[in-house]
Amino acid sequence: MSLFNMNTIEKASYEWITVDPDRCNKCGICAEYCPMDVLAMDSKGYPYMKYRDDCWYCDVCTFFCPKKAITMNDLPYLIS
Amino acid sequence: MYHIIETDVVVVGAGAAGTMAAIKARHADANVRITVLDKSVMETSGGAGRGMDALNTMAVPPYSYPEDVVEHTTKVTEGVLDQNVAYEFGKRCPQLIEDLEKIMDREKGSLFPVDEDGNYQLFYLHPIQKPLLLPMDGEEMKRALAKAVRETGATIYNRTAALQIISENNAVKGVFAFNIRTGEYYYFKTKSVCLTTGCAARMGLASSGYLVGCYEFPGNAGDGYHMAYQAGAELVNMECFQANSLIKDHQGPGCGYVAVPRGAYGTDRNGNSTWSHGYSSGDSKMGAWKAFAEGRGPTHLKMSHLPEESIKVVEKILWGNERTSRKIFHQNRGQDYRDGDAVELAFAEEVGVCGGHSSSGVMADKNGASSVKGLYVAGDVDGGLPHSYLGGALVMGGMIGGNAAAYSSTLDGEFDYKGLKKWISDEIQTFEEPLRRDNGLPTDQVEYKARTRIQHYMKPPKNPEFLNIALWWMDRIRNEDLPRIKAVDYHDLLKAYEIKCILTVGEMMARSSLYRTESRWGYQHWRVDMPESKPEWAGQWVVIKKENDSMTLSKRKVPELKWDFATKMEYSYPELSFDVGTPFKKESNWINPEEDKWMAGTLAEQGMSTPRRFMPGKEK
Repeated sequence: MSLFNMNTIEKASYEWITVDPDRCNKCGICAEYCPMDVLAMDSKGYPYMKYRDDCWYCDVCTFFCPKKAITMNDLPYLIS
Repeated sequence: MYHIIETDVVVVGAGAAGTMAAIKARHADANVRITVLDKSVMETSGGAGRGMDALNTMAVPPYSYPEDVVEHTTKVTEGVLDQNVAYEFGKRCPQLIEDLEKIMDREKGSLFPVDEDGNYQLFYLHPIQKPLLLPMDGEEMKRALAKAVRETGATIYNRTAALQIISENNAVKGVFAFNIRTGEYYYFKTKSVCLTTGCAARMGLASSGYLVGCYEFPGNAGDGYHMAYQAGAELVNMECFQANSLIKDHQGPGCGYVAVPRGAYGTDRNGNSTWSHGYSSGDSKMGAWKAFAEGRGPTHLKMSHLPEESIKVVEKILWGNERTSRKIFHQNRGQDYRDGDAVELAFAEEVGVCGGHSSSGVMADKNGASSVKGLYVAGDVDGGLPHSYLGGALVMGGMIGGNAAAYSSTLDGEFDYKGLKKWISDEIQTFEEPLRRDNGLPTDQVEYKARTRIQHYMKPPKNPEFLNIALWWMDRIRNEDLPRIKAVDYHDLLKAYEIKCILTVGEMMARSSLYRTESRWGYQHWRVDMPESKPEWAGQWVVIKKENDSMTLSKRKVPELKWDFATKMEYSYPELSFDVGTPFKKESNWINPEEDKWMAGTLAEQGMSTPRRFMPGKEK
């Protein structure tokens, strides 16, 4: 089996914020308060970095999450 | 879809200054209709969205007095200021302390430090012999301000970006805005605007290449400068660039204002101090520039000599306030503040403009009034009160809120809004052109192009040739690239608008730098072709204004200085002449056209067209 599909172009999806689905209650507070409008809720109701490259690594999402479900593991790759 | 809404005061930008404006507008008038717009979210937007560790410039007796703020501001602006504004700010600092303690529900001694005599304790940082820095345990400040705004009954529009301030006969009559999530448009009929949009954060691009990897809050794209200019307001000091020493790559505050008062200092690669003080003024920037120019980089913020208790204090403040990601940033790199080279400093990696950290912005008097009636400004977009940081934003923000409320209540009559619906429809059509294009230039690439050019051609030391190339680029991107830009959604459409703002501010920076035919403010306006401050420019503003659809510049004397403080910092401009030895001598390789027989023959045979012999499957 090939390691990659020659017929499709897929970009690696790299995010520096991870969401613990066991803790997340899908309340959307993180997306509501993200100052740069980075976060949105995916089709399953969990937050993801819709506009990843607008992240100012401000920490609001991890700070505001009432369930402590979000972790900022690192900073954007270009500055980490 | 659009809405037309009548109101009395529109606050554009709900950062520190904007929230305080809304609060004080309500204090001034119980019935005034207050509307607050923020392209972000009021609770978390702006530079202080995650809190702040100090009010950097404050006059709090008995440590310091309003005259001390005037002395400091006079010195770092080299006399290019209205001292009255600085004095009025200094006078109101104690009231601000009282206001913040009340808004944040904190006891005296909890929010700000108090000495054993019960006085608020200030620290030394500024290049005068008085302490002006008031530390603050202000992590939750922004949320407390937002809560207080909600209690005023103001109508709040989050995710709603102001696009235009509309004026008629040099008076404010409306604000046009759109919601970046829903695409709904708003026209607010209003007679007064509090413009509190912050600085221009996204100008010169830092070497990381990350577009929002900037010092100031990246939502601040210079929108306020652009909108005020388009409305006919005057701007000043756009040649006095902000170029800070920041944490390399992270681009967050270089910890200096937290660590320097506790004994830290900037060092070169030899471990020597780069300057005598840690305040971010043009003289200390010259020291940082010199270190790099002499090959003495990298520079670091040295804390390793501090006692463990001091380092822990610095860590607690830096990791719990403002840019809390500093902790992850340093720890993931294995950097410990106990090591001398833990905090590498970047210098002037992102040139830009700011009123609060430097002097550039919309011209405002001691009442925060701009040259357009009904348009009040405060915070980093305010050029009338230089170097006043968060304290100035909060004080002047509060002042303009009250003044805007009073102004709107004294006005009789209505503006003529005939044809408004058609005007709005036309504006929406124009604004949404990038959305309707099937294809085009991605917004991030256009922004990247503009900001790399700004950084490359405007970074001091400046010269007219570079500045003119910068102007050429601003013009070219505006005329050739903006009409081809493709926005994929409303979020992206805001980016297309912000690029327009970046180009306006970039043009102001270049034109103003060309107009001031001298050097001043140390590194901030250093022209290598004119490396000295000239008497004819002493106490003179460069004023920018839109007239007859073009950017006009003029020279204006500042109000007479009432206080006789030093109008010069201690530094000098160097002569730039490096001896690089004697180069290898060689014969001329100039080829006269008549001797260039091979190329002349090729040209005669092939003409100017590219030979097609390398095209597979094609005949020659």
